[in-house]
Amino acid sequence: MKFLSIAIKDLKEILRDRRGFFFILLFPMLFMLVFGFAFGGMGGNTPHNLAVINYDQGSVLPNNQSVNFGNNLTQILENAKYPNSNVYVFNVTQPSESNADQQLKQRKIDAELIIPQNFSQASVSLINNTISSTTNTPSASSSNITSTLIIRGDTGYINFGTTQGILTGILSQYKDEIVIDTQNNVRGTPGAQPTEYLNSKVEPIAGTGDYTTFDYLAPGMIVFAIILLATTVAASLTREVDKGTLARLKLSKMRGFDLLFGGLIPWSLVVVAQVIILLAVAIIIGFHWQGGLNSILLAILVGVIGGIASISLAMIIAAFAKNDRQAANLGTLITVPTSFLVGAFFPLPQEPIGTFMGQSFQIYDFIPWTHTLNALRSVLTYGGGWNDISFQVGISVLLTIILFVIGVALFSRTRLRAES
Amino acid sequence: MDYIINAQNITKDFDGFKAVDGLSLQVKKGEVFGFLGPNGAGKTTSINMIVGLLKPTSGQILINGEDVQKIDKGLIGICPQELVLWDNLTCKESLTLIGDMYEVPKKILKQRVNKLLKDLLLTYKADTVVTKLSGGMKRRLNLALALVHEPEIIVLDEPSEGLDPQSKRVLWNYIKSLRDDEGKTVILTTHLMDEADKLSNRVAIIDHGQLIRLDTPENLKKEIGEGDVVEMKLSKPQMNNEIIKSLKSIQNILSVVEVDGVINLRAMDAVSKLPKIMDKVESAGVQIADISVRQNTLEDVFIELTGSSLRE
Ligand SMILES: Nc1ncnc2c1ncn2[C@@H]1O[C@H](COP(=O)(O)OP(=O)(O)O)[C@@H](O)[C@H]1O
Ligand SMILES: [Mg+2]
Repeated sequence: MKFLSIAIKDLKEILRDRRGFFFILLFPMLFMLVFGFAFGGMGGNTPHNLAVINYDQGSVLPNNQSVNFGNNLTQILENAKYPNSNVYVFNVTQPSESNADQQLKQRKIDAELIIPQNFSQASVSLINNTISSTTNTPSASSSNITSTLIIRGDTGYINFGTTQGILTGILSQYKDEIVIDTQNNVRGTPGAQPTEYLNSKVEPIAGTGDYTTFDYLAPGMIVFAIILLATTVAASLTREVDKGTLARLKLSKMRGFDLLFGGLIPWSLVVVAQVIILLAVAIIIGFHWQGGLNSILLAILVGVIGGIASISLAMIIAAFAKNDRQAANLGTLITVPTSFLVGAFFPLPQEPIGTFMGQSFQIYDFIPWTHTLNALRSVLTYGGGWNDISFQVGISVLLTIILFVIGVALFSRTRLRAES
Repeated sequence: MDYIINAQNITKDFDGFKAVDGLSLQVKKGEVFGFLGPNGAGKTTSINMIVGLLKPTSGQILINGEDVQKIDKGLIGICPQELVLWDNLTCKESLTLIGDMYEVPKKILKQRVNKLLKDLLLTYKADTVVTKLSGGMKRRLNLALALVHEPEIIVLDEPSEGLDPQSKRVLWNYIKSLRDDEGKTVILTTHLMDEADKLSNRVAIIDHGQLIRLDTPENLKKEIGEGDVVEMKLSKPQMNNEIIKSLKSIQNILSVVEVDGVINLRAMDAVSKLPKIMDKVESAGVQIADISVRQNTLEDVFIELTGSSLRE
């Protein structure tokens, strides 16, 4: 268990090196604050251009009232206003789908919402299920119909990011309110058939209206912190080489595995701390966090994978740097542009170079932290779950493994053998 | 003959600069072997090759007849010339870490660490982090780290560098006990003549990466000269020759010469002879403007051995 001794040693060194530790946390925190104050007010209180394509064919309620939830939703979106203001949240248009796609490309609209044919059917089945579970009478038609609302847009466009964030919030609230409304109706008139479910459903949606550009950018700050970690880890590895303590370890029975695997553990813990603390700071300064506790766990998982990629990068840097100053310089030279490349500060233009498993691929997609960022944004900003990020996580694991193998090979070759 | 270390014609070439040049030597089991040479002679480089940290450009190093890259890792312990410590670990943590790395069983390790701390007068600093230790304490910890796994061969690279005279005695006694009580083989590099003299069974003198002499201290001293050096500046330098003549009449004076207007006197235990020396000078009606006593240094030896002074 030599790797455990190394892990404990590294952890002690990290925690006792106060200055280094604060740098790891404070520097990204500073960026978070700056971005929070710069972009926290942006995007809010201006209407977002939204095209709604409503394919909903309507359905019939248990009381034989015919309804079209697609129209209802569209109306809600049209009428939604920012809290305490007369400004509408969306500027809704209803072009054809191909027209909307065209406008998306020209950035005339920020996002496009496609309501599927069976949206009303799905909503009615949701109502039926709610009734039967509330009154405890098995319903004949309690089959589950799922329909998927599609939010379409250019992921490289900040306005899409914010619009998507608001929409996601409204949609999940819409679904929740159908359920709550139904329950209230059923309970309020015991024994009687509920009459109207969605009579007064046109109302502003609270909470998500003041969605800002910062909500889109905040996860980028976490990714920036994780990438920046490579610099710190590289400096610490190089210090071990430069001070000769590595030579001491090399002479012992320690293997390369013990050193590198042992190092992964404490630095991963640092990433966990980074994710939690930065998220907390973001929320304090106005980040609209949409995920639950679950999203923190997912964010930590995603962060740690990104962190391992950073440690791998650190090994590559430490294989070449001669002292910790050089490692820090070289590290900064690599990590800062990388942060820009993965879009940690602002999204980059989309230049697809091919498709893989149905997803179009960019140059940036070969950098593991691109997927760290996508996944973090997915869970923290849009409240997505495991299913929404599994693809991103898969790719980032794959890329991280590749980077790790390269890192271990280079570092072992240059630093763990007898010098020649 | 029972050689534990056998270096055969090792050479180290740093981009065309030969730091070690065809060095061959054998170290006997259970001896203290001294490496003596000026700064830059190639001592550290040689040692790094002997312990397997550095690959020789050519030549071979055998430990107990086996190539150094293949030996059991626990066989050698090295105390490097520079302090090689983890700044943010305590003495105890550092020693325990290295013990763990050598797979010393936990229980034995605990006892050993405590004994080492005691032997090297570090017990009361056991839980102090390295950055808060004094220079001498760091040196002692540096040494202790070479010993936790009780290696057969102990390599000490300039161990007394930066130690006050008292710590130096402690260290020297400790080195002697490693050999005499525990039967360890010790390799020691130094640029101090008296250190090599007092501790080593045999001394290798190297310069420019080459072996100049390898012999017992007694034999080397016979050849090179011994004692302390008194350097003296007189108020009337024109009297130098006359004074030198009279100084030579003092018993047990090894040599008196003038070097650049300074009288240079070599004698065993020069301090005890100072009253006589001053007597001679003053009775000639001359005042001493400046006087210093120092140990016979490598410089003096080198001047005799190689005909050139030490480079710095
Ligand atoms: N890694 C290195 N690269 C180039 N030259 C070196 C290196 N290590 C040592 N040297 C040179 O080799 C010579 C011997 O150095 P060293 O073995 O440290 O001497 P010593 O220990 O006797 O003082 C010196 O001239 C030194 O500058
Ligand atoms: Mg040296």
